[in-house]
Amino acid sequence: MSGKGGKQSRSGGGRKGADDQEEEEQPLQAVLIADSFNRRFFPITKDQPRALLPLGNVAMIDYTLEFLTSTGVQETFVFCCWMSHKIKEHLLKSKWCRPTSPNTVHIITSDLYRSLGDVLRDVDAKNLVRYDFVLVYGDVVSNIDVTQALQEHKHRRKVEKNISVMTMVFKESSPGHKSRCEEDDIIVAMDTKSQRVLHYQKTQGLKKLQFPMVNELDVKQQIRHDLLDCHISICSPQVAELFTDNFDYQTRNDFVRGMLVNEEILGNQIHMHVTKDGYGARVSNLLMYDSVSSDLIRRWVYPLTPEANFTDREGPPCTHSRHNVYRGPGVSLGHGSQMVENVLIGCGTSIGADCHISNSVIGSNCNIGDNVTLDCAYVWNHVTISKNVTISQSVVCDRVEIREGVRLNKQCVLAYNVLIGPNVSLPDGTVVSMHHPDEEEEEDDDEFLSDGDADASQSKEKNKQKGMCQVLKVFELEVLGTLQRGLEENIGCDNLVVEVNSLKYAYNITLREVMQMLTRVVLEFPFQQQQGVQLSAAQYATVLLPRWAPLFKNYVKKAQDHLDCLSAFEEHFLEQEKHWPAMIKVLMSMYQLEILEEELIMRWFSQGATTDKGRQLRKNQGLQKFIKWLEEAEDESSEDE
Amino acid sequence: MPGADKNTDLSERIEAFLADLKRGGTGAGPLRGSAETARETTALLRRITAQARWSSAGDLMEIIRKEGRRMTAAQPSETTVGNMVRRVLKIIREEYARSRGSSEETDQQESLHKLLTSGGLSEENFRQHFPTLKANVIEAINELLTELEGTTYNIAMQALEHIHSNEVIMTIGRSRTVEDFLKDAARKRKFHVIVAECAPFCQGHKMATSLSQAEIETTVIPDAAIFAVMSRVNKVIIGTQTVLANGGLRAVNGTHTLALAAKHHSTPLIVCAPMFKLSPQVPYFPFSPSHSYEQRSVTHSLWWVRREILSKVNVYCPVFDYVPPELITLFISNIGGNAPSYIYRLMSELYHPEDHEL
Repeated sequence: MSGKGGKQSRSGGGRKGADDQEEEEQPLQAVLIADSFNRRFFPITKDQPRALLPLGNVAMIDYTLEFLTSTGVQETFVFCCWMSHKIKEHLLKSKWCRPTSPNTVHIITSDLYRSLGDVLRDVDAKNLVRYDFVLVYGDVVSNIDVTQALQEHKHRRKVEKNISVMTMVFKESSPGHKSRCEEDDIIVAMDTKSQRVLHYQKTQGLKKLQFPMVNELDVKQQIRHDLLDCHISICSPQVAELFTDNFDYQTRNDFVRGMLVNEEILGNQIHMHVTKDGYGARVSNLLMYDSVSSDLIRRWVYPLTPEANFTDREGPPCTHSRHNVYRGPGVSLGHGSQMVENVLIGCGTSIGADCHISNSVIGSNCNIGDNVTLDCAYVWNHVTISKNVTISQSVVCDRVEIREGVRLNKQCVLAYNVLIGPNVSLPDGTVVSMHHPDEEEEEDDDEFLSDGDADASQSKEKNKQKGMCQVLKVFELEVLGTLQRGLEENIGCDNLVVEVNSLKYAYNITLREVMQMLTRVVLEFPFQQQQGVQLSAAQYATVLLPRWAPLFKNYVKKAQDHLDCLSAFEEHFLEQEKHWPAMIKVLMSMYQLEILEEELIMRWFSQGATTDKGRQLRKNQGLQKFIKWLEEAEDESSEDE
Repeated sequence: MPGADKNTDLSERIEAFLADLKRGGTGAGPLRGSAETARETTALLRRITAQARWSSAGDLMEIIRKEGRRMTAAQPSETTVGNMVRRVLKIIREEYARSRGSSEETDQQESLHKLLTSGGLSEENFRQHFPTLKANVIEAINELLTELEGTTYNIAMQALEHIHSNEVIMTIGRSRTVEDFLKDAARKRKFHVIVAECAPFCQGHKMATSLSQAEIETTVIPDAAIFAVMSRVNKVIIGTQTVLANGGLRAVNGTHTLALAAKHHSTPLIVCAPMFKLSPQVPYFPFSPSHSYEQRSVTHSLWWVRREILSKVNVYCPVFDYVPPELITLFISNIGGNAPSYIYRLMSELYHPEDHEL
């Protein structure tokens, strides 16, 4: 479903003239993705899409569109997925969709988009972009002029016959700068002369990084960690095609890494442009919201300042006074109230007496009572705050009512229409919302690393989990059967490995789960025996484990595998408390058979338990003796060396 | 429908102009001098007069006033826009008065005599329709445009009267008017120019390069050296962004320093400013930041400062200074040289008192 927001742009694409003439006529196009495909702003974004959340009392998508228009984009395609009707409504009312707008905005909505990759595949399928285009997200705030980067990009493509596929725009910014989003932190190895990207990696949470060697000798490289990713890219039309060719590219990160890995095969290169003077940042989470908001108020993003009224809103714009205090029309201030510095107040708001406001943004038509202290508070529209309230570093959404004596500590979020009663003090990091928390999914850690994860329906996930459990059970039984047969028929370990592997593929189990399952099955083996001899712990240790040692060794190779095995081991023994004496023997024999290494056993032990029972386990005398013995053995062996 | 087309075409142009104005100060859009802005504003106003629908002078004035308010709101620091709007309004009044046949001297000054003799008939509502009004107004605006084009030349023509051989002239920053003024004098006289670089934008460097290409001996000095060098200077010639109604200046930052140093050494301070820079605004304190400064990209030099420190630091980068009229010796404009105390009179000739507030 697509909607047009204005008259057709006068594109000169159909001309058959000299190449130069055609190049000059190329209107700059842009693809704006008004959906972030993640849930960083839940539960606020349950009611309002992220692109329409107010930043400095202006919707975020307006900043992006203003950036695009002022940098000379003539045709923009806005792709919406979540709450697309709201975005469409907002855009159709805005100045971008007026017939006199220099930037024609086309709005394309679909519920099927799950990632940046899907959008670009759609772009390719619909053949929307004919020339180089600018790719941005709907929550990018920037004043960078990309014409220089665009010239460089076009020049590169002309000189080297379309090898350069994309130019990423970065801002030079020291590490740890508050406008650098920690999740998006990157480290880039680049060729100094040609600005080509040689290696690109996200650094969040990593302490060690590896850089591949570049074969060419005359390449001068720089490794840069002082870059802020503006999430603005100048792409050639090939980018859309490449996304269609590679179905598994979901995010820009995937694309860049894919291009770098396949550079020798496909020959595509990625370049970058570093800007020192412009400002560009993406509001990807609440911390960035705070950071970008305060940058906006301190006028780092000039000319997108609060009093510039670049969205052509009706009515007089707000006035800018000393110390970055902006007041909209119709603001009334009570006696003794102070707006200390970096404050933006929307129109029609009334503030009571003796208030102290600093570093805050207050929306329009709010009613703030007496004796209120606001510090780093982001209060949106139509909010009622009664007297004696303190808000620090929090977000208060539309139509919230805060009764008297409430105290909001750092990093609280009050979502739409919430009512907070008198004399409540919310601890740090509280989120209060009208939506029930059960309705939401829990966020995985994966969302930190890739911004392409999205899973729309809740029930699908639950079903998938149930399905998985059943499959695992069947797999467990199969493995048990295999081992039993192995024992009875005296099958060699190699064949057992083959059998287990084939079971893995049949049931689509990950390697890690195979290994854990194997440990469990082996440990539970004596107790699973229906018929035959009941093995005692000692026998078990001396007879069975050596038999199956090669089987283990096949799966337990890396450090992580050892730890997984030990955690499965721990899990099993936590369930079977009476077998703790046997535990030591089993552990000892596993160590002696070199299935597990002492270092990793130590690490597992010292990692500390998460549950009470786990702690009890670790307090077990036998286990402690064993660990001590291990330590001594380690010392001895190191002394020997 | 051709009428509707014309209207949309007109509004398109107005929107484009407004957008340009808003972005004009950043360096992202085309950087324009005030002369260009004045010319474009006047051309746009002429187009509005020609294409908009109006039947009487009152309507036209209303339309122009409305558009004028929008334009001044877009970029408050660009005063030439407002000035041109007021000039055009004055033109309309004059043409209307001429068409009515009454004398040109229509209640300009509220003198006691006028109050006694006119007796309450001072309300003109400009409702009468004159068929030739449109043509007359457009012709007058064309004259205004011609005048605008000739301003720099007219100012430069006066250079030889003011600059003598072997003089040391000081200037600050970059002003196209002063540049042409000095280049014109250099054709016949040999003199030395000292340019204060005017940090942080350092426009003085460009000025010095341009002057030296015209074979004028130029020296660039940092702003801190202004006072030290001032004793050697014969004259100070500067440009300005706006001339205020009291004869003061809103000029590039650093000008106040220069003016004070010149006063201390009793060096004459000459301001080269074309008439379209004359604005009916008065300075008021505390100066509202949107009128006196904007934060430009230079503050990005502080971007590297760490987070904890940066959040406690506010960076102010004023672009304009106020120079009081007592420090100025002479204004050179396209209609000749004037003392600062005469500015009020010039202004009354250019603008009608009712138009001071758009």
